[in-house]
Amino acid sequence: MIGYLTFGLLGLLGLSIPVGIVLFLLGFGIDAFFSPFPLTKGLGNLVWSTSDNATLIAIPFFVLLGEVLVRSGLATRTYAALDRWVSWMPGGLVHANIATATMFSATSGSSVATAATVATVAMPQAEKLGYDPKLFSGAIAAGGTLGIMIPPSINLIVYGFLTQTSIPRLFLAGLVPGIALALGFILVTALICMARPSLGGPRRVFPLAEMLRALTELIPIILLFTIIIGSIYKGWATPTEAAAVGVAGAIAIAAMFGGVSLSMMAEAIVGTVKITSMIMLVVIGASFLNFTLASAGIGRELQDFLNGLGLSPLSFMLVIVLVYIVLGFFIETLSLMVVTIPIIVPLVVQQGYDPIWFGILMIVLIEMALITPPVGLNLYVVQGARKSGKMSEVMLGTLPYIGAMLLMVAALIAFPQIALFLPDALQ
Amino acid sequence: EDLSVVGSWSSLPLHNQFEAPFWTETLPAASNGTINVAMTTHNQMNLGVGDVFRLLGDGVYDVGMTVADYAVADAPELEGLDVPLLAMNATDARAMVDAARPMVEDIFNARFNSHVLAIAPYPPQVVFCNGEVNSLDDLAGKKVRGSGRMTTLFLEALGAEGVNVAFSEVPGALQKGVVDCAITGAGSGYSAGWWEVSTHLLPIPLGGWDSVVTAINLDKWNSLNAETQALIAGEVSAQFEDPAWDAAQGALDNDIACLTGNGTCTSGDARSMTLVAVSDADFAKAREVLVSKVLPDWAERAGADWAKRWNDSVGQVVGVAIGG
Amino acid sequence: MELTILDRLRRLNRIIAILVGVLLLGCAAFVLADIVLRQVGSSFGGTDEISGYVMAIATSWGMAYALTELGHVRIDILRSRAAQRGRAVFDLVAMLALSGTITLIAIKGWPVLARSLANSSRANTPLETPLAMVQAPWLAGWIWFALTSWVVFTVALVLIARGKFSEADAVAGTYGELDALK
Ligand code: NA
Ligand code: NA
Repeated sequence: MIGYLTFGLLGLLGLSIPVGIVLFLLGFGIDAFFSPFPLTKGLGNLVWSTSDNATLIAIPFFVLLGEVLVRSGLATRTYAALDRWVSWMPGGLVHANIATATMFSATSGSSVATAATVATVAMPQAEKLGYDPKLFSGAIAAGGTLGIMIPPSINLIVYGFLTQTSIPRLFLAGLVPGIALALGFILVTALICMARPSLGGPRRVFPLAEMLRALTELIPIILLFTIIIGSIYKGWATPTEAAAVGVAGAIAIAAMFGGVSLSMMAEAIVGTVKITSMIMLVVIGASFLNFTLASAGIGRELQDFLNGLGLSPLSFMLVIVLVYIVLGFFIETLSLMVVTIPIIVPLVVQQGYDPIWFGILMIVLIEMALITPPVGLNLYVVQGARKSGKMSEVMLGTLPYIGAMLLMVAALIAFPQIALFLPDALQ
Repeated sequence: EDLSVVGSWSSLPLHNQFEAPFWTETLPAASNGTINVAMTTHNQMNLGVGDVFRLLGDGVYDVGMTVADYAVADAPELEGLDVPLLAMNATDARAMVDAARPMVEDIFNARFNSHVLAIAPYPPQVVFCNGEVNSLDDLAGKKVRGSGRMTTLFLEALGAEGVNVAFSEVPGALQKGVVDCAITGAGSGYSAGWWEVSTHLLPIPLGGWDSVVTAINLDKWNSLNAETQALIAGEVSAQFEDPAWDAAQGALDNDIACLTGNGTCTSGDARSMTLVAVSDADFAKAREVLVSKVLPDWAERAGADWAKRWNDSVGQVVGVAIGG
Repeated sequence: MELTILDRLRRLNRIIAILVGVLLLGCAAFVLADIVLRQVGSSFGGTDEISGYVMAIATSWGMAYALTELGHVRIDILRSRAAQRGRAVFDLVAMLALSGTITLIAIKGWPVLARSLANSSRANTPLETPLAMVQAPWLAGWIWFALTSWVVFTVALVLIARGKFSEADAVAGTYGELDALK
């Protein structure tokens, strides 16, 4: 069955059939070949119960929030302000890409939205100032992945929803690893550009007065972050409700500091509907496939296989990490999470690992999957924002950052407290 | 005979201690290998809880089990199986469920095309409060997390406000005062660490007993020969239902001991929540609310025929009559 | 002719998308109002129940718009390497798989609504929402998605049969993952 799934997935994806539909087709195949029961009869109920879901409404809300920030011009101004502060380092404007991505991650629940936001505002600068296109675009693709680690995060909401773990605890657990990764990206960039200054473009030092003036441009985004996260930790709103707070906050802040018009809002909402539908077709397909897999006993098959290996908890975890790295090359990340969580997480907990900690480890691996070819959405988002150049340049540019992510995986396994101490301390 | 079986929540003791061993070991062994079982659970399949019996009726799998209360959207009359506060201990709860059994069978035949094999208990749904609560009266004006329509309506009739919070968010909500109290099984509250964020425990089934119905698709059931039917019915009753009920009171006493330190706790460290004794006067008042408000509302939702059947069966056992 | 049909379909779906977006905005406003009300000790109650229904209906009705905007993510590693005719075959296969699957979802969605009608099912909540009232618009969205996808498939087939490959590409091709996300 595992063989059927692997080849079926690659074959159908290769045919360029929409990803969500591929998941349904695989589910129909499992029903026809591996299950004696008429699973497809349950299709309608599955589709209804998957989409009748108050938790998932955070997805359109966070997407809309990002759309409003970009279309109101707030994103561009944030980028320019951060440029004043970080471009003195070796690597110059590349650091502004990472810093902007980190900043937007704190208001956006999605990595793809974060990368798209930063790429839209940053790309025009690369050619003008003569940066190495590889490193410059790689930093955006990798920095964008922080969107799902630094709270809020759609993927952590989905993880908490599927594993019955506390979403605010997951958010707290993601904060330190997220910031550590951002600093790691900055360090990697600086080291590379010290070794090969030609990659980094000009370092630019701005007068202090200008730097201080730039700070005021950061007020809107910090305000928005405070509203969203504050509403969760003050106990006013649940993490899903906080997404609604974020939408309202973004519109209000955009109206105050940028510009909001009826036509701009129309574009923002149709864009939101398009992206939400795209994501939901994948989520619903994954949920149907998961239903057929559970009925056909894949959990048992995998459990028997892993138990048969007789691994220690550590080697077991390393196998899991390896599995996610390999699957991450080929599978869209939200589907990867939805399909594997119900099978993998119980096994991991059974081995004595903390489910909150594992959620964070999984997010690092999912971040990696977002920038590994052939299926790495952030690569395509960044490439899409460039006017010229080859896809492979973006891929090469992300390699140093993938190295930083692997170090983070190792650090999380060696020191689980990196993720756990904050939620434990505030409990 | 191959049976595909969908169990209830995979993390809870009812599944791990009773359901899973019964279906995967006891029954196949008792049939001398003529019955083969493939088992998963509804949460592992990512099913909506309201879909479990719908899909069972459609024949997607052969046997399904989940909390009856999850299915009341399709069958409001099923709410009468598990009325809060009518049964204070496992013996009374079982008597109540046994009295309701013929009604439940008819409901499952008509609404879900299936035959009831067993009704087993989850631990009773008790009340955890963060803040001093000394009587049922003290719940008035408090925000209480409950689930299910009858429980929420009952809370509202007591003057409390029903708030919907996901199970995993309850500790945070209790701590920050989003809710003052929350209802769940004593064992679930113990293992999920609710004692860290709440101070007082009302050990009364304000959320009922959350009866878990095990049912088999009716077409499948009718296709089995009489011996197989007898074998399954007998084994389910003797090896699953009886042991689950026998363990229920002990488990409840143990869980309360673990939460409050009153008694012996065998599941881990005992905690020190304040055990609130609910007075007889409190009960009388709660029953009055139940009889005057909550049950008549239900009778209206379910229809007069069901209310009459309920009065003649469950009502007799617990000494309550709707509209009387 | 076929392009006129498609153009009308696109414009209609854009209007639907705006309505769906307004529904989502309304839901956000409703949630926000409830948060504020809770601070003053009151509440509408049932916001999460209503958010769930909004999500189900918004999702099903937004699907067709995403399709006409080529928004459903496709992996075009092999497709982008094929010649023009080869790409046309990829697109027809993808559209056929999509139309067939969505049609099946629409067909299997009917029993869900039918059972809620037959049982007069009401949500297990204090609101007692009649489930048919929210499942009917949800199912209608999937039926609309199925119809839209068959129209798109037919238009692409006609264009390809007439050798108008670049027009067909604009109807049923891919923007690649990149534009799907913008
Ligand atoms: Na984020
Ligand atoms: Na990848």
